[in-house]
Amino acid sequence: MNAIRLVRHSIRAISRYKQRSAFIMLGSFVGTAALTLVVAVGAGAERKMLSTVRQLFGVSSIIVMAGGAHLMGPPRANAARLTLDDIEAIASDVSAVEIWDPQQALPEASVRYEGRTATARVLGQSERAERAWQRTVTRGVFIDETAVRASARVALIGETTARELFGDGDPIGQEILVGNVPLRIVGILEPFGTDLHGMDRDDEVVVPISTMMRRLMNVDTIILAKILVRDPSQVEGAVRDITRVLRERHGIPAGRPDDFTLVSPITVQKMVARTERILKLYLPLVAAIALLVATIVAAALMLASVNERVGEIGLRRAVGARVEDVLLQFVVETSATMLSGGLLGVIAGSVAAEAIAARLHLGQLLPWRAALLGIVVSIITGILAGVLPARRAARLDPVEALR
Amino acid sequence: MIELQGITRVYAPSGRPPVHALSDVSLRIERGEFVAVVGTSGSGKSTLMSIFGLLARPTSGRYLFDGHDVTTLSVEEQARFRNKRVGFVFQGLHLLPRTSALENVELPLLYSERTAIDGLGSKALAAVGLTDRMQHTPAELSGGQQQRVAIARALVNEPDIVLADEPTGNLDPRSALEVMSLFRELNRQGHTIVIVTHDMAMAGHAKRVARIENGRIVADRTTTPARERASEAR
Ligand SMILES: Nc1ncnc2c1ncn2[C@@H]1O[C@H](COP(=O)(O)OP(=O)(O)OP(=O)(O)O)[C@@H](O)[C@H]1O
Ligand SMILES: [Mg+2]
Repeated sequence: MNAIRLVRHSIRAISRYKQRSAFIMLGSFVGTAALTLVVAVGAGAERKMLSTVRQLFGVSSIIVMAGGAHLMGPPRANAARLTLDDIEAIASDVSAVEIWDPQQALPEASVRYEGRTATARVLGQSERAERAWQRTVTRGVFIDETAVRASARVALIGETTARELFGDGDPIGQEILVGNVPLRIVGILEPFGTDLHGMDRDDEVVVPISTMMRRLMNVDTIILAKILVRDPSQVEGAVRDITRVLRERHGIPAGRPDDFTLVSPITVQKMVARTERILKLYLPLVAAIALLVATIVAAALMLASVNERVGEIGLRRAVGARVEDVLLQFVVETSATMLSGGLLGVIAGSVAAEAIAARLHLGQLLPWRAALLGIVVSIITGILAGVLPARRAARLDPVEALR
Repeated sequence: MIELQGITRVYAPSGRPPVHALSDVSLRIERGEFVAVVGTSGSGKSTLMSIFGLLARPTSGRYLFDGHDVTTLSVEEQARFRNKRVGFVFQGLHLLPRTSALENVELPLLYSERTAIDGLGSKALAAVGLTDRMQHTPAELSGGQQQRVAIARALVNEPDIVLADEPTGNLDPRSALEVMSLFRELNRQGHTIVIVTHDMAMAGHAKRVARIENGRIVADRTTTPARERASEAR
């Protein structure tokens, strides 16, 4: 068929002008690569955030933190009084509470074993932490109730810390020093990876909350507690009840702000939504600008190249090409150029995204919608910049175009 | 076969006085003729040829092709007409760069309604004696060879008439002579040919010479059989 001949001819024309085609391709390449990369990394970060939030925070949990009005970030070390008694009062007064686990922490403690020293986060938790935080031990045993009651000198150790102190050796049964307190390792914590703040959660030592408060820190406060309610539908009521109990116990007069903060799935949802807005709106916006700039460059090159080819268009018209034949040729040439640039861009963008995702431990997924958008935008710009001037030239009298 | 009746072509560049490139030109060319249009530079030769080839429309007048007025055809019908009826050799050749001689020659076939086009390109190249240069690009060909590629392109779709604007203009005398013999041979095979030249020696190869001055035909004579025999014998 006639049209097929013309399409083949047009594709050959691209390869005749390798340099010119390559520069135009580069435009759609850069634009599509930027868009694919940014959207892929953004989507990966979003998935990572959501999965971490889910991991940290089931649908029926509430975190009580000492200190008022802060949502995210590590708990404040010297924040106002939040005591074990407060949490016990909540547990007994609020009927929806199923599990509760208090926590005290030393963000950076030095941990020693024989000649070696490691810096780790030391957490004091109860025997219920295993259920409250959904994190158990891979070897050995978790802290038990007896150990908590007796402020026993026992510890669980994360994999990173274990590797730093023991190399390939078996930590279980060994004695480490946190400060001057000797602790016997009874279990290895389940690996967790990095959390939302980029902290390595395997660089950790967990001890009974009582041991933490009495022997390691000598304090009578905790920094937070995680509370699980029996059913997700009870969260809202529980938040109200906990607030009432704590305000009462802390003697806060009406009209004064809380001296504690409650984080519930509802507040987490709000925070996630805010972060999502950034990931879903601003990142793609940046990428769209990159795409725009790149396609404008490609369009300018395309325009210049078509203007150089007015004589060629006149020749084709003179030997019998109809206006639509000229258009078909330019549509094919432009789309093929932009499409191949765009496809290469998608590949490059995904490879780069893959590399970044691997380093940040993000999941990876080809953002095909962004990729498609990049390619479509390139092709449309190409057609506007390449085909419209070609049409103008094709509509001239052939002598005019040939001049 | 083709007939111009009172053709006028006025160029009216904006802001400058209009140029009457052709004034009331009437000319009739029959099938099988070999006509040379001669005239000084700027006399209107190219303008006349572009009207013959339907590359431009006259300002007024009628152009009859086999009795049909072709100036009233639609834009796309004119394209079809150019493709089927006319083979044009442009003053500036206009070969596609970086494209083989064969593909250049086949260009009109790309836009043709024909289905059986295989071999037509190489046949046309053979007719101009370039069988051994089919895969060469224009840059790899001499001026005379490029001219012959352009002629082969004009012939490829078996047109009713071949129009050549200054086909020997940029050639050395030897190549010019070769090209003119080629046209004579094509004419002998039955092609209708109109060439433009300002070289009287070249015009002598044609059977008929029309002289144009200031956009008007001032002389139109058929060469003597003796002269024609003499040129055939060369
Ligand atoms: N596009 C145009 N706009 C204005 N004037 C033009 C245009 N094309 C041609 N002319 C004028 O028309 C006249 C005839 O031009 P034409 O090109 O037909 O001459 P020619 O006989 O082919 O000359 P040459 O031998 O130099 O090729 C000239 O005076 C020229 O200046
Ligand atoms: Mg001329």
